Amino acid sequence: MENTMIKRKAARIAFIRSNTFQRLLLIAVLILLYAFFCAASPAFRRYTTLAYICNNMYYTLLLAIGVTFPIITGGTDLSMGTGLICYSLIGSYLMRMCGWPLWGAILATVLMGAAMGTVNGFGVAKLNIPPFIMTLGSMMFCRGMGSILTGGMSGTWPNYLEPGAGFRKIFRLVITADSGQRIPIPLGMVWMVLLAVIMTAVLNHTRTGRYIIGIGSGREALKLSGVNVVKWNMIAYIICGLFTGLAAVAYAGTFSNITPGEGAGFELNAIGAAIIGGTSMTGGSGSVFGAFLGVLLISLLQVGLPFIGLNANWQLLVTGCILMGAVTIDRLRKP
Amino acid sequence: MKKAAAFLLSLMIVWTAAAAAAEKTYHLEIVSKGFQATYWQAVLKGARNEVSRLNAEAGYEMITMNFVGPDSEADITQQVQQFTSALNANPDAIGFAAVDQNAFKDLLNSTMSRGVPIIGFDSGVPGAPEGAVYANASTDNYAAGAAAAEGMWEKIIARIASSDAPVRIGEVNQDATGESVTRRGIGFIDRIMELAAEKGWKAAVTGNEYYVDSVTGEKAPEADAKIIIEVRVPAQPTVELCANEAFVLLNKADLIAVFGSNQVAAEGIVAADDNLFVCGTGDATVIAVGFDSGATLKAAIRLGILYGAVTQAPVDIGRVTIDLLFASAKGEPVEDTDTGCAFYTRENIDAEEIAQNLYD
Repeated sequence: MENTMIKRKAARIAFIRSNTFQRLLLIAVLILLYAFFCAASPAFRRYTTLAYICNNMYYTLLLAIGVTFPIITGGTDLSMGTGLICYSLIGSYLMRMCGWPLWGAILATVLMGAAMGTVNGFGVAKLNIPPFIMTLGSMMFCRGMGSILTGGMSGTWPNYLEPGAGFRKIFRLVITADSGQRIPIPLGMVWMVLLAVIMTAVLNHTRTGRYIIGIGSGREALKLSGVNVVKWNMIAYIICGLFTGLAAVAYAGTFSNITPGEGAGFELNAIGAAIIGGTSMTGGSGSVFGAFLGVLLISLLQVGLPFIGLNANWQLLVTGCILMGAVTIDRLRKP
Repeated sequence: MKKAAAFLLSLMIVWTAAAAAAEKTYHLEIVSKGFQATYWQAVLKGARNEVSRLNAEAGYEMITMNFVGPDSEADITQQVQQFTSALNANPDAIGFAAVDQNAFKDLLNSTMSRGVPIIGFDSGVPGAPEGAVYANASTDNYAAGAAAAEGMWEKIIARIASSDAPVRIGEVNQDATGESVTRRGIGFIDRIMELAAEKGWKAAVTGNEYYVDSVTGEKAPEADAKIIIEVRVPAQPTVELCANEAFVLLNKADLIAVFGSNQVAAEGIVAADDNLFVCGTGDATVIAVGFDSGATLKAAIRLGILYGAVTQAPVDIGRVTIDLLFASAKGEPVEDTDTGCAFYTRENIDAEEIAQNLYD
């Protein structure tokens, strides 16, 4: 009898300490928050609000999926925000000033992200530069580079009237009902879910993922067992860079005007979302699906709080509290 | 012999002095609010063109210019550093558009004590110590906000008159600290209230406290008002956050019009409408009015998403700033210059007097 009780208690503790518990908690918070905003504001209940939340979160979502990998290794990437703006600025420059076709500019934008990820990975994994310092440097580099290469000018991707504006349909379709009403379809969510599923599979069911998790939980043990830690650590940063490049394209598809000063702070939302989603800042565990939920929560707050009359300062304050709560839960549930 | 040598030496000294006087050079430092809006790039273009013109007239590189600005209008510290560097470059005059009214008082005192003239441009340097700023080259932002109100009013007056229920007019401002944006925002509200009062309609103002408290007209309680003006300000001056504020406004059933008081806020309105499709130029749509231009806003006006916008004359601001800097560097008297503004819609966007001030 006593043994059964002890076993049950142990099982409960194990469940509370599991990542599944944190994700279930997050889903519950998301549902409650959504229900609260719907109850507080009739306008929030509309389908268009849901479509708006989706259509404006793609770039943060891609950043969060990407940064989950370096965080799991025990690192981070601070260069994502300014990198995103830098790559999309240069992509726009290649199109406008150098006559590149749209597909060429999109490809170059994504590859620039991967290249910066490689540089970050080389610095962190091969040269043993602390990730914070390495990516702080590349953050500043990107901030300067975008402005220098474009002469401090804003960049524009095809907007409504221009040829090539169809690329925005990758993320958002608009269908016209019989009544003439236009309805936005957040097509980008399909690609986001697909990418999240693929990257979850990469993290949990491939050698790449296992080694990346292994680097975060026991780098030395992994090294002693003959694994090329430098290579797999670099790959985590390359994945992050690649997703930053994709995020740059998503950002250009949402806001066609790219201004050099923006971007700083985007990475904090992405890192915050990954942590809220259960990825441990000390490395060794994490979840792409959790990061996805974390971005949903941040986006829900960003759009929802103004609906109930609270300005964006409250959004920062509430997001900060949730982030601190998530980190506290992360610490408490660890033995 | 000695006399001849002395004569030759004197001649050489006079010639050298004359040559030096003839080729006097001036170094101008300009600290702007940054390059984040294409508006500032147009100011830079105007300044560069004027420097080139003056140098061509002089026949040598008489003026050198260094034009800088912070990465964003929220980067006060970066602009303080840039102003310090500009001062350390020993310029003959400094052009300055401050992102914050209070962060520069010590630096301005220091500049004044070194006798370097400051010319304010765009929003200038409000609250600067007496005598530090010699003159300003700027749009009268209060009048520009009023121009947006007048342009919008023509389009909505019939709808207000025919409505039995109160109607709402929204305003999105990227911040409540920058002089140009706040003056525009207040100018817009004040003018709407004046126009409403002329018709005998009461107007209420709600939302951001700074704007509500700064309005000069008599505010009615919301329950008694025929027109409710709602002002929204995001935490940071970005298109994404302005879009979130605009999205809330555009979701209100009683909203008939909305004003975005600069390029960032107006682009935020366009981005928010991208999922709602309520803005337009028809009788049942929300009449959206922006400020400045840029590729996105121009396309939105051509497509009828925005009804119109107010354009300043950014190229002229750059040109006049250089003229005032040059004159003050030479010690000539200078005075404030209003560089003007105009309301434009799809109908006159290509007219020469408008098109020359629009930029991508």
